[in-house]
Amino acid sequence: MTELSVSTSPPSHVAPHSPLPDAPPKVTVRNLNFYYGEHHALKNINLTLGTNRVTAFIGPSGCGKSTLLRIFNRMYDLYPGQRAVGQLMLDQTNILDSKLDLNLLRARVGMVFQKPTPFPMTIYENIAFGIRLYEKISKSEMDDRVEKALRGGALWNEVKDKLNASGLSLSGGQQQRLCIARTVAVRPEVILFDEPCSALDPISTAKVEELIQELSEDYTIAIVTHNMQQAARVSDKTAFMYLGELIEFDDTNKIFTSPSDRRTQDYITGRFG
Amino acid sequence: MADMAVQSDVMEAAGPYDRAKALSAFRLGDATFYWITRISAISVLLILGGIILSLIVGAWPAMKEYGFAFLWTQRWAPSADPPVLGALGPMYGTLVTSIIAMMIAIPVGIGIAIFLTELCPQMLRRPIGIAIELLAGIPSIIYGMWGFFVLGPFLANYFQPFMIRIFEGVPVLGSVFGGPPSYLSLFNAALILAIMVLPFITAISVDVFKTVPPVLKEAAYGMGCTTWEVVRSVVIPYTRVGVIGGVMLALGRALGETMAVTFIIGNSFRISSSIFAPGTTISAAIASEFAESDGLHQSGLILLGLLLFVLTFFVLAGARLMLMRLETKAGK
Repeated sequence: MTELSVSTSPPSHVAPHSPLPDAPPKVTVRNLNFYYGEHHALKNINLTLGTNRVTAFIGPSGCGKSTLLRIFNRMYDLYPGQRAVGQLMLDQTNILDSKLDLNLLRARVGMVFQKPTPFPMTIYENIAFGIRLYEKISKSEMDDRVEKALRGGALWNEVKDKLNASGLSLSGGQQQRLCIARTVAVRPEVILFDEPCSALDPISTAKVEELIQELSEDYTIAIVTHNMQQAARVSDKTAFMYLGELIEFDDTNKIFTSPSDRRTQDYITGRFG
Repeated sequence: MADMAVQSDVMEAAGPYDRAKALSAFRLGDATFYWITRISAISVLLILGGIILSLIVGAWPAMKEYGFAFLWTQRWAPSADPPVLGALGPMYGTLVTSIIAMMIAIPVGIGIAIFLTELCPQMLRRPIGIAIELLAGIPSIIYGMWGFFVLGPFLANYFQPFMIRIFEGVPVLGSVFGGPPSYLSLFNAALILAIMVLPFITAISVDVFKTVPPVLKEAAYGMGCTTWEVVRSVVIPYTRVGVIGGVMLALGRALGETMAVTFIIGNSFRISSSIFAPGTTISAAIASEFAESDGLHQSGLILLGLLLFVLTFFVLAGARLMLMRLETKAGK
């Protein structure tokens, strides 16, 4: 029984974040609604992502957290019949502007997916590919950038001797870090993580979590996760979503110790979800 | 506990007998299945071997008469005494028409596949897909007639004079696109071949493009790639093996296509530097002469068939080799 009651507060082995001061908003969401055809998937979402802060999105499957994440880089645009209504600002840029250059938006807002998605090319090319989309640089500069990105992805030591091996030859955890390095290489401002650890073993998960912490020094991060301890470990703010609504959005500490909404309380204690 | 022990005893008493019987029935079924599949597989080898053997037997008199000179003799005079036969013209025509056909069909076919899978509005997807499949279903004799009555005159009256004028006086291209225009030409045949093999390349490319995981494409779009960059750097490398498979299938068809080509190539054994001149291919030569041939002439035609066999084999082996080199380059 005591074991159970522990889980109502943040798990004791997790060092809780000392709350950081509120950061200036990087992304501002106002009255955002999203539709899959007729289906109203997100209802009136309001929140901000603080600059260089980690914001976690939790909630049961189908609550719309991944949907929300995919609006931040307009990924939904690839599919007909999906549309977003409302206001979504990245600094002074209106993300929902239909005339916005999506390629530039996605250079500013990178994304890491649930499954590792290395491109079918060498490790080196996986990184250089993204850089080449935006910059024309010499071979030696490129080597530097690739090394820096792989160091940024905490992968350099493991792959420095096999940069010409296929990205697909790496283990799942390494592939995911390669994808993070690839995202970092184009120097985005915001990085979106869509359940980045759900396909990884615990050790790889720990590495990726550590990496997210480090990245938050330079990037604004949004992470969707099903693992509440992960949310508690890595994030500064947590948003709890349920059935397409944002139920509660607050400091991570507060959400996991004294949530104000009954449904949040029920979800984080494992009563549903 | 005791009850259960009794029960299981009873079951075991009934068990072994039934089970053994059932198992032996399975074994028989397994053995039958094994032999049926094995015989099917072996029969392929036997048929292939039989075809090669009968080709060699049929071609033997010509091989003995002409030896390797058959390969580089251009003259084809079956009614001379003794007949003079050389395969250079048909081999040249086969390779040139196939190469030109592939040069046209590969970019167009893959382009259509990219359009259908990545860019096409849902509404157009089905009609275009069905049209491509219908293109594959048209009998080759119809392509031949269309090439003879429609495409040939069009090319000779409009396209060929235009190209000849443009390249007049240019060193190499001037003779490749040299005159005079002709209804029946290598180029005409190559164009028809391109149209005929296009559906193979498109259909197979569409199928393999659909196997690219959406999340991989999303990842590339998420880096800020344009559709073209996604296709070039992710979709095509990911599906390379399948696409090349489709191209090889198309190439095999182009090398061996007979009826349509016989109609429109002109059946001339002379090698001309111009692709607007008439020529012949191996299969066209066999089709147009086999019925009236006998003796050494017939044996020569069978030898041509054997050559086509070997040629196709080497082209496909070469394609496979290229594929392996590509894979090493991609770091697999």
